[in-house]
Amino acid sequence: MVSRRILGTMTFIAPLALLVVIWGIVVPVFQVNPQIFPSVPAVVQAGVNSILNGTLLMHVGASMGRVVLGTVLAVLVAVPLGILMGISKGVSDFLTPLLRFFSVLAGIAWIPIATLWFGYGFGAIVFVIFNGVFFIVVYNTLLGVSTIPMSLRNAAASLGAGRWALFTEVLLPGALPNIATGVRTGLGFAWRGLIAAEMIATNVGLGYMLFVARDFYQTEVIVFGMIVIGTLWLLIDRLLLAPFERATIERWGLVR
Amino acid sequence: MKTLSLQNLSKTYYDLYEGSHHTALHDISLDIPAGEFVSVVGPSGCGKSTILNMVAGFIPHSGGEILVGGQPVKGPGRDRGVVFQSFALFPWKTVLDNVGFGPKMRGVPKAERDEIAREYLAMAGLSHAADRYPNELSGGMQQRVGVVRALANKPDVLLMDEPFASVDAQTRMTLQDELSRIWEERRPTVLFITHDVPEAVFLANRVVVLSKGHVLADVPVPIERPRVWDKLVEDDAFKELSNKVLALVRSA
Ligand SMILES: Nc1ncnc2c1ncn2[C@@H]1O[C@H](COP(=O)(O)OP(=O)(O)OP(=O)(O)O)[C@@H](O)[C@H]1O
Ligand SMILES: [Mg+2]
Repeated sequence: MVSRRILGTMTFIAPLALLVVIWGIVVPVFQVNPQIFPSVPAVVQAGVNSILNGTLLMHVGASMGRVVLGTVLAVLVAVPLGILMGISKGVSDFLTPLLRFFSVLAGIAWIPIATLWFGYGFGAIVFVIFNGVFFIVVYNTLLGVSTIPMSLRNAAASLGAGRWALFTEVLLPGALPNIATGVRTGLGFAWRGLIAAEMIATNVGLGYMLFVARDFYQTEVIVFGMIVIGTLWLLIDRLLLAPFERATIERWGLVR
Repeated sequence: MKTLSLQNLSKTYYDLYEGSHHTALHDISLDIPAGEFVSVVGPSGCGKSTILNMVAGFIPHSGGEILVGGQPVKGPGRDRGVVFQSFALFPWKTVLDNVGFGPKMRGVPKAERDEIAREYLAMAGLSHAADRYPNELSGGMQQRVGVVRALANKPDVLLMDEPFASVDAQTRMTLQDELSRIWEERRPTVLFITHDVPEAVFLANRVVVLSKGHVLADVPVPIERPRVWDKLVEDDAFKELSNKVLALVRSA
């Protein structure tokens, strides 16, 4: 098991490592202008500097804080709403067209109005994250509830479960695998949205870090930032979201 | 235990495709005294599940009355325990927590309901499976859990809709032996739906034969208890009665 995981990680990292090797060869051989693309040592240096002077931590911390808050708020509102839609055809019929419409806009289309409502910075960006996660989690929760066999709801009711117990004991756990998938997908979009939003609407965060470096032709900072953005997402996804999704599906998912 | 009484019960479904109403049951009357085991048999589509779902309160009835201990049925309730053909165990709960679910809904504290659940699991020979999840059990074991989950909530009436239809023949006979034993010990009032005639006869005090939405026959089963398959397979009275009911179902 352990050795298979290590092997899996290696096969995942190998192509990325190869890319770095090619980059390390191509830049000096063709004497690429550092204002077009930086060398490997320059990027490493930029990385070391940003770690030592604390700016990396500051930007990552700001970005992560927004992501966590936006996601938590979105899930807290989306899950009960999705469950309500899942059990009530009336609510579902009413809200589905609205969700369809707004899910298209979810993400950076909201930035202009969000900055008017919340001002530049924290609020506007959290709002963008919220939007990216919210709709997809509502939709997946709804889907999750609809996959719960009617017999499970009937069983709970005839064992004496009231409305609240039905929610906490059957609907919520029953929809959990789909909720996990929704959070994972939604966060994937929100992460992209976050970087875009931070370029426009704030003065701290990973997106801002890239954008400012551009003004000074610091391609090594830009590339380092891009590497951080990609790596952070892969870590969040592979170490947190994917295992959570897999665990719920393995334990729960036998109904389907 | 309580009586179950169906009085002039009827059910009309609205058919979405045809756009018309369709009467699945007309005027069913049936009295089950407290502590009696009644099987309902009949050809596919004659309305067996419809009756059970109405008694369970899962679907509304169109006419007549359903009384449990004299009280009319309004929706699902813990006075009527249900065992489902699909088992309907909660996949995210351990076997112990599945069986303790009914007591939990009554507000029984954790330690106490675990004790209740263990006692019922022991009755079905499932003590070793308490901490496992339903998907880790065979179909036969899952349905044992389904049966004791319903019993552990001490219902007045036990409702079962083809509970053993999705397990293999060998396991089915074991489960029938066990259900028979449990019924003899505890004497719950049971409404048992099946299309397996020998099963119906083996388990019941009375077999009701249903045909196209009405009661065709109501056959008493005067075979002595305890009943076990080892004894009854070769029993002439049992065979004769089974054949009689089978002929009725065929004519239905
Ligand atoms: N939800 C429904 N809508 C419309 N008609 C229905 C519905 N459920 C059942 N029926 C019809 O009612 C009749 C009785 O169905 P029911 O499921 O009670 O039969 P059954 O005796 O349980 O059959 P089986 O042995 O196949 O389980 C059938 O004609 C069926 O088509
Ligand atoms: Mg049926």
